[in-house]
Amino acid sequence: MKKLYYYIPFICFCFLLVFFLKQLFEEQSPSELPSVLLNKKLPLIELEKLEGYHFMSYENLIFNDKPFLINVWSSWCGPCKIEHDNLMKLSKTYKVPIFGINYKDEIENAKNFIENYGNPFSIIGVDRKGKEVINLGVYGIPETFIIDSSGFIKYRHVGPILEYDMLNVILPILKNLEE
Amino acid sequence: MYKCLLIFLVLFSSISAISKEKNDSLVAKELFEELRCLVCQNQSISESDAPLAKDLKLIIIEQLNEGKTKTEVKSFLVNKYGEFILFKPTFSLKNIFLWMSPIIFLIFGIFLTYRFYYFSSVNIQNSEKLTAFEKRKLKSILNKDVK
Repeated sequence: MKKLYYYIPFICFCFLLVFFLKQLFEEQSPSELPSVLLNKKLPLIELEKLEGYHFMSYENLIFNDKPFLINVWSSWCGPCKIEHDNLMKLSKTYKVPIFGINYKDEIENAKNFIENYGNPFSIIGVDRKGKEVINLGVYGIPETFIIDSSGFIKYRHVGPILEYDMLNVILPILKNLEE
Repeated sequence: MYKCLLIFLVLFSSISAISKEKNDSLVAKELFEELRCLVCQNQSISESDAPLAKDLKLIIIEQLNEGKTKTEVKSFLVNKYGEFILFKPTFSLKNIFLWMSPIIFLIFGIFLTYRFYYFSSVNIQNSEKLTAFEKRKLKSILNKDVK
């Protein structure tokens, strides 16, 4: 009994070691926050129209026949340029509907961005003041949400969608939702 | 008479409007300090210069002006960003271990300290109670060592 009592510090140390190692090798970055809106209905967001492009109203977002992506982007955002090729692939090659939310941008710059890099978005809405995306819990762009056909948020991706994310995360989730 | 009443009403309403504004700005300041910036995660939105912190400040002011209470504003932001946005976690069942752990560890520490001192004093007492045979044996051993 007395011997067991002496092992308590060692047992505590082992617990701490396991806890810290788990944190150290966990794949998800601790600065990346899980969305609290997962599996919840898409909240109401009121956006403005981007002249010359199909408008994204709230009704467009909640009535769909297949799952889709919502991508929050801006022309001044560097990582948005990095992920743009993959968004184009998702849209043109994999036929995934992507609804774009243009965030705190100059209208002309947003239009130029799409003209120069291509338009992966089937519809676009503008959040000029950046207040509407707060309803989605957005805290940095680019952010991408996967929404199922009933309008429920199923996944949130923070940061640019790289090829690995597209092939191993986004597309499998979309495939699962379609089945 | 009517004029006096009118002046009184105007004065009263403007004073109450000013005091409400003052109260709102105090509440806003408190909220700015209690909420975490999700971009610069170890800073409050009051300290942070991130664009998101500025947007959150504007939303807080807007909601307070609409007449929402501090709790309502907080719960709106918790619904969007989760409890991580609060520097001080809520006292809920989910966080019970977090809140109770200092007391649990304190009690455990007191228990361990008590056991340690109790057993060491018991050992001292026991060592004093030698039987006559043990005393003789001890004496002979000691004598042997001296020789």
